Amino acid sequence: MDAIHYRRWWTPYLWLLPSVLLMLIFVVFPIGIVFRLSFSEISRAGVVGGFVGLDNFIAAVREAAFPTVMWNTLIWVVSVVGLSTLIGFVVALVLNSEFHGRKLARSIVVFPWATSLVVQASIWNYIIKAEYGNLNSLLLNTGLISHAVNWRSSYQVEFIWECGVGIFVTIPFVAFTVLAGLQSIDGAYYEAATVDGAGFWKKLRHVTLPLVRPSLTISTVLNIIYVFNSFPIIYTITKGAPAHKTDTMVTYLYMLAFYEQQKGPATAMSMIGFILLCVVAGLYMAATMRKEAQ
Amino acid sequence: MRTRGNTAGRVRTGLLLSLIAAALALMLLSLPLCEFTSSVYSKRLGNTKVGDEKYVTARSEAEAELARHIQETGRTAELREDVLERVNSKGVTTTMITLTVEEKQTRSGWAFMASGLTAGRELLLLAACVALSGVFLAVSVLRSPGKAPRQLSGMDKGLRGAACWLALAALIILPVFMLTCNVELIRRVSLGAAGLTDATATVSRIDRFLFEGKAGENALTMAAGMSLRRLWPLWALLPVLAALLCGAILVCRGSLGAQLARGALYLFVIVLCVLILYPYYVMLITAFRDNAESTDMNFLHLWPTRWLWGNLNAIVDRGVLQYLGNSILLAGGATAIALLCGIPAAYAMARMRFRGRNAYLGFIIMSQMFAPVVLLVGISTLMRNLGLNDSIPGLMLINAAFNQAFAVWLLHGTFRAISPEMEQAACIDGCGTVGALIRVLLPMAMPGVVTTLIFVFINAWNEYTISTVLISTPAKRPITVGITQFSSFNMIEWHLLFASALLATIPVVILFMCIEKHLVSGLTAGGVKG
Repeated sequence: MDAIHYRRWWTPYLWLLPSVLLMLIFVVFPIGIVFRLSFSEISRAGVVGGFVGLDNFIAAVREAAFPTVMWNTLIWVVSVVGLSTLIGFVVALVLNSEFHGRKLARSIVVFPWATSLVVQASIWNYIIKAEYGNLNSLLLNTGLISHAVNWRSSYQVEFIWECGVGIFVTIPFVAFTVLAGLQSIDGAYYEAATVDGAGFWKKLRHVTLPLVRPSLTISTVLNIIYVFNSFPIIYTITKGAPAHKTDTMVTYLYMLAFYEQQKGPATAMSMIGFILLCVVAGLYMAATMRKEAQ
Repeated sequence: MRTRGNTAGRVRTGLLLSLIAAALALMLLSLPLCEFTSSVYSKRLGNTKVGDEKYVTARSEAEAELARHIQETGRTAELREDVLERVNSKGVTTTMITLTVEEKQTRSGWAFMASGLTAGRELLLLAACVALSGVFLAVSVLRSPGKAPRQLSGMDKGLRGAACWLALAALIILPVFMLTCNVELIRRVSLGAAGLTDATATVSRIDRFLFEGKAGENALTMAAGMSLRRLWPLWALLPVLAALLCGAILVCRGSLGAQLARGALYLFVIVLCVLILYPYYVMLITAFRDNAESTDMNFLHLWPTRWLWGNLNAIVDRGVLQYLGNSILLAGGATAIALLCGIPAAYAMARMRFRGRNAYLGFIIMSQMFAPVVLLVGISTLMRNLGLNDSIPGLMLINAAFNQAFAVWLLHGTFRAISPEMEQAACIDGCGTVGALIRVLLPMAMPGVVTTLIFVFINAWNEYTISTVLISTPAKRPITVGITQFSSFNMIEWHLLFASALLATIPVVILFMCIEKHLVSGLTAGGVKG
């Protein structure tokens, strides 16, 4: 028996009340506001008018930057989540094996997770400056290049750098979630596999992968959500320039709402983002659940 | 018996391999490793063609210079002619001709060692490592031939182990030599020529090394126009030294695969750590340099030339202490609220059975989907209506709410992992539910609670987006927003930006390192079991 007794039926709800209130006021309410605003007419000054149906959505979709922004969002989420999961998984495998200085290595790997994204993005913004960035300075001084390289020659290249920074800061999260899964694996499985004559790759495929799949699923779902909603990297390095060509949905809707005073289309973009996120995360969950059930 | 025979064979192969490699390495060191090209004379001619009058005059001048140089120094030199054709805006083809008298020379490894340059000393160390490694291996195998590595005496084991480490050291020194060579012979001199550093000592050493001490006053100019090319023997040393290491490992352990895999593991970890620490290193050195130095590409020091602690005073004058205080207040308040709301909720869900328990857990997980960024318009409208716009308490509440999901999730996992028997006993003893929670469960769940606490604190500390939108009074900014004041549209004061960023980063990184161990168990409890 794992429950404790309580006398009145409403006792648990009383315990839950502060948490529920906090969530209700500061999370659910804003969702409601965004939902209402996305169907309302909003003037440039921010005065909320009446119901306008899908006008805001149509305006948002018709914006010239809309296709680019959607495409960028897709690339951003897929590349950052995909590559950081892959690399993070390898890092977790390495950090889970025995070697001298493992404790130190784990502490170091956690660094990017602990650092504010604004700070990380500012540092990388400095590192890749063409005129005086540290990367050029380092490579010139070590003789690996003989002329300064313009590391941000075009917005496409800058966007690739942004994805790189995104991957860099996401790896620790994946690594530690997978590490948590790896540590809960019973060593007896590996012993049995060794007795059966399985090598490193066979153990990886038939023991490790199936057993860490739950952690991997959770880290991927959360990652899709976090990466989709990630704002400071792009905002610090390019601010979406030139002309929203490096914006993702999140930075784009921020620009729309707070720079271009188009709150209506901005809230419509928020709703589109929610729906996409729910669909993608839901599909992913369903797919992995079905695989597990099989 | 069969394995032992194999092992002895492998030891012999290893010895042979490493002796050949050592000899080869020493031989390669006596070949020319680097080629230095220094220009003694250079003239650029515009608007001219090969063969016209201007060209002929210049060419004869250059030839005279060449002859003079050869006569004076007694070394060989050659005349190089670069022709650059370009179509200008009027569509006319113009030619630019550059005439250069160049002195090309190569230097062997032994010449480097005799030069007194730092690069030479490194090469000397490398040669010593290679030779000693070979000698140690030969001696240890001769002392106990045919013995398996496990039956060796302490002395022989030590010798073989030392040989391995020496071979590894040699392999590491080689790239270091390549870098030092470049920094010492090219970069430092060109900085000296530009008046950025005092390179007198370096230049006189280079003069002795390359021009037999005869360059005199021209030494700096000659060295500044110099370029360096690494020749094939230097590259060939890499596989040879790797072979030496492999041989040494074979002799030492009798097998290779496991050791190489281990080496690869360490290499991966080292590269990973260096890569992760790189931005922090950049932040650290930039924070203590001045603005001129931090925007200078020719900066070649690993550390600032002078540590400018004055940068800290400068950022304090710009209000960074105030921002740090705001951040502490904000993160502390958010953590307190999140835990005060989260602990009872997590407790009720972990210990009581009631309708809607799973629904709330589901809602908690779903709410992760809604990041504050996407809700910004809604949040700012709400806060304006509540009168919490532009206030730190408002930020606290928002941060607490958006971290509520994670807090409840982590705490729920922690509480579930603790058996309820102790609390049930406490309840029978007459202590109420609240008493059982505070006196029994919380002390036992302390690691999990502290993890949650620090985690929420860090999230709130690092939060940036909501604060930029909600806070408009400069004095109320948290540090993450505060650091952006150092970057304006056309100028970024990097040194001040990074000095503040450093202050904002150090405390949370230390906190995170403290919970790193519990984080793994916390994630397991919350994620996999919950």
